[in-house]
Amino acid sequence: MVTKTLNVSRKHEIKEKFYLIAVLQGMWITLKYFCRGFFLWKSYTINYPEEKRNYSQRFRGMHFISYDENKIENCTACYLCQTVCPAECITIIAEERDPLKNPSGVWKEKKPKSFDIDALRCCFCGMCEESCPKDAIKLSRNYELATRTREQAIYNLDHLKREVKGRG
Amino acid sequence: MDLINIVATLIKIILLFAISLTAVAFCTWLERRGAAWIQGRRGPCRVGPFGLLQPVADGIKFFFKESFVPEKSNKFFYLAAPILTLTIPFLAMVSIPFAENLYILNHEIPMRIARFDSGILLVIAFTGLEVYPVMIGGWASNNKFSVLGSLRAASQMIAYEISMGLALLSMILVYGTFDMNEMVRFQEKWMWGCFINPIAALIFWFSIFAETNRLPCDIPEGESEIVAGYHLEYGAMKFALFFMSEYVAMIMASALIATLFFGGYSLLPGFSLVEKGIVALFSIRSEIVNHNLFIIFQLLSIFLKIAFFMFVFIWVRWTLPRFRFDQLMDLGWKILFPLALANVLLMGIVSYFFIYR
Amino acid sequence: MSFNNQNIVVNKRRMYINYCSDKKPLENLEDQENLENQENQENQKNRPLKNKINIDGKEIEFLPGDTIMQAAERGGIAHKIPRYCYHPGLPIAGSCRMCNVEIEKASKLMTACSTPASNGMVVHTNTSKVQKACTGVMEFLLTNHPLDCPVCDQAGECELQEYNYEYGPGTSRFSETKRVFTNATTKRLSDKITLNMNRCINCERCIRFEETITKSYELVMLNRSWEKELTLSNYESDENDKDDEDKMPTKGLTSSYQGCLADICPVGALTFNDFRFQKRVWFLNRQPSICDACSKGCNIEVHFENDIIYRYTPIFNEKVNRHWMCDRGRISYHDVEDSGRITMPFMNTIDSHLHSVEWMTVLSYLKSTLAIAKKVLIILGTDSTCEEAKLFINRIPSLSKGEVKVCFYNGTGDVSSSKDDEKIDYLLQMKDQTANTKGLELLGIPPLETSYVPDSTDNTDSTDSDVVIYFRSGRAGVGGRGGLELKLKSSASLFLWGVFYKKELDKAALKQIVAIIPGLMTVEKSGTFINCDSLSQSFTSAITHKGAALPADVIFQIMILENRSAIRS
Repeated sequence: MVTKTLNVSRKHEIKEKFYLIAVLQGMWITLKYFCRGFFLWKSYTINYPEEKRNYSQRFRGMHFISYDENKIENCTACYLCQTVCPAECITIIAEERDPLKNPSGVWKEKKPKSFDIDALRCCFCGMCEESCPKDAIKLSRNYELATRTREQAIYNLDHLKREVKGRG
Repeated sequence: MDLINIVATLIKIILLFAISLTAVAFCTWLERRGAAWIQGRRGPCRVGPFGLLQPVADGIKFFFKESFVPEKSNKFFYLAAPILTLTIPFLAMVSIPFAENLYILNHEIPMRIARFDSGILLVIAFTGLEVYPVMIGGWASNNKFSVLGSLRAASQMIAYEISMGLALLSMILVYGTFDMNEMVRFQEKWMWGCFINPIAALIFWFSIFAETNRLPCDIPEGESEIVAGYHLEYGAMKFALFFMSEYVAMIMASALIATLFFGGYSLLPGFSLVEKGIVALFSIRSEIVNHNLFIIFQLLSIFLKIAFFMFVFIWVRWTLPRFRFDQLMDLGWKILFPLALANVLLMGIVSYFFIYR
Repeated sequence: MSFNNQNIVVNKRRMYINYCSDKKPLENLEDQENLENQENQENQKNRPLKNKINIDGKEIEFLPGDTIMQAAERGGIAHKIPRYCYHPGLPIAGSCRMCNVEIEKASKLMTACSTPASNGMVVHTNTSKVQKACTGVMEFLLTNHPLDCPVCDQAGECELQEYNYEYGPGTSRFSETKRVFTNATTKRLSDKITLNMNRCINCERCIRFEETITKSYELVMLNRSWEKELTLSNYESDENDKDDEDKMPTKGLTSSYQGCLADICPVGALTFNDFRFQKRVWFLNRQPSICDACSKGCNIEVHFENDIIYRYTPIFNEKVNRHWMCDRGRISYHDVEDSGRITMPFMNTIDSHLHSVEWMTVLSYLKSTLAIAKKVLIILGTDSTCEEAKLFINRIPSLSKGEVKVCFYNGTGDVSSSKDDEKIDYLLQMKDQTANTKGLELLGIPPLETSYVPDSTDNTDSTDSDVVIYFRSGRAGVGGRGGLELKLKSSASLFLWGVFYKKELDKAALKQIVAIIPGLMTVEKSGTFINCDSLSQSFTSAITHKGAALPADVIFQIMILENRSAIRS
């Protein structure tokens, strides 16, 4: 079998071969950036925890679960978010609410016994928010989700109920 | 030699250490901050004003890290390498003149630690020694990556030492002396060496990069290939010594370049006017005070030159990509070495026919 | 026979149980026609006149007295007609008006469930007129139906959802406030059934069930129209406030077939407390099996997810349980999921404590014990399948050179053999609480001699076996006398094989037990049961084994062939 090799290497002119000019051009560019940082004090990065970038109103961050005036979560454990979740990161266990602690009556007779979201599996597609018939689960704009252990990234109901600056 | 000379020498040694190490600290800050500026970042800005205390924090960290010795290493050489690596650049700085002689209490004090008539030979000797701590450290660590790193460092340093030596030789031909003071006076009288012999200046400058293992010639280190190179097994303060020695070597190299090619301690353009202005303003009559003032300006000049070359080291590092090892060897042996040889021949002719006629 | 899978084509989304009927096709018409065309004309002439009805272009033969719906069931196309009040196992009411069909030459739409079919009738089930009528009925039903599907347990198997998806208007013109029963929104009719009256669509299937199937007459509809409300009929008779209709009854539903109410309810008005809020039905996998809670052998569907059973529902079988199932069988899955069930091999050590051991340890011990035993007694619980009984009969002699005796033991209540078995109520439940007494008898296995049974008066000393293996799958000897307290010779070593619970071991004679070999429950294994009516029913495993338990045939394979590959870690 005959193979043809095609040499595509470019012929350099002598000016190009003498790399010093190109080097000096590069040095000039970096010098400009150095002066821009040194004198004008400009940079593309920010001092993160003190300054924060402004994200879009439509940014989808960590979930939260809304609650009513009695501090009772709106979630009725209908499992729709668990059903629709493409990453299968939501785990719900339902139970009946204690009638004595239920000012909303029959409309909230079912409640989530546990409602866990595995933030490590979540892909923040927002389909849970769309599917929720009670507008209970929503996505906030909170993007600071760093945790020390993997277990801490599994958020339970109490954490999700905590008030989050959201968009909804 | 009387007592005052001994005391003065001691003070000079202490001053050299103090100033150099402070400069090292500042250089590490500038390295990181400059890198950040060149790359459009902020850089370290948390510790102290503008992050200036970052080197202090680093130092504290180095002190409190666990200082360990690898189990199967050669203990003596393992511990000797970091000491040697910091000592040798300091020793090379011994014969570099920072100014003309100072007059204090009727005593003439030379502004260099050791007075050698053939100081440049001492410098060459000690820069040649710089390869040993690298070799010793890499070998004594008993780690294959360390050995590979030190092998790379040794081959690179030896390759470039030849072209560096030849560039120096061409300058010695021009100046006609081994005494660095004489070299500076020659440049004061005529012009800076880099204008007389620009090819040697370029060769020397590039060889210095290879000698100090700075980018674009930092082949001995390579995260993707051999991790940290010859100092892979060094931690805590032992690593800090290697780290500092790199900057001390840079300072030494900057001083050498400034002396050989950029007029040494000869005043920068405009400085003589300022000096004369001060003398006229305060109507200084005393010959000695006048001379000492002149020397202060000389010191200022050489420090500014050294600072500029330090900046260039950092500037080049964050501009150019690194060489491949074969490219580096090609450049050293196939281009710089013949070029330097030809340059020596050229300078011999030039100096014979035009300078010492 | 295996399952009675009739040729009923049911939309997969719909619940099986409410659509299966015992109205079978009289004969296959199409084959008959082909025969006629190919062969001779005489058959056609000799053929007796039959009643024929044409539903959606399909010629269906029916018996006189059938309604259109029943004729459609004979033709296997009943799923084309929507219905709420009609149920194949219940009398016809005709109250929901959902099963409207268009009959040619009839001016109005007729209800398929209550209109008698007549010869030559031509029926259309999917014309625009029918669809419009269905849409109207749907809109009317949905005026007061709360849209609380997220909370409702019926969601996913709800006929209101299904038909609303198919026929519903999509929007509602009802802008007024919906009716709310304040006292009957979440009302416990008993400890098994919860009523949510808001969801009720007044089909009255439950009332007809109580009237005709259980004959307990415990549910009635109060008031009319808007205020029509399902309540219990057995109110507390209080002289002072006789007029108070909303007073809670003293006792709720008492019938033992309350789970069927939740099954037949087309909406989520009646829900079974045991399954209430446990799981959404669309997560559940379904697998048919046989209920082993009594000798009736009701056909059931095991609903499970990730090998955890959530409920049993009945499957229609005309010859056994029709549409129904008792509550005891319905909640019997708790025994499978019991946390006290022993699913690891255990051995009794010198300190008379049970310790968990490796499979090979206990099996090699059993093998060596059998090899040196002189007299081996195998007591098979009457809940073991016929296949397992045959295994023991055939395999044990190859492992033991001694005298092997196999007998069965029931141990539930007073039943010792199928002669004692009898119906304990009007419908399904049997006195024998194990599934296969009849099957073991038909295999020729004798019952356990009475001298072994603890409270027997027979004191003749016949308990001279060295090794006793007691095999059961969780039902035999559980109720009643307690199967573990057998009278044995003190030197005899007792092997427990199958499903045992920790709570039983506390009271059992621990000294006698040498080892416990975990086995499978009925839903975990395949086999054949022969029920009280001598009907043979095969089944396959529905879920994977719990823990390290192994099927009996695998254990014999390991012991005889030394094949270790079957052991799971």
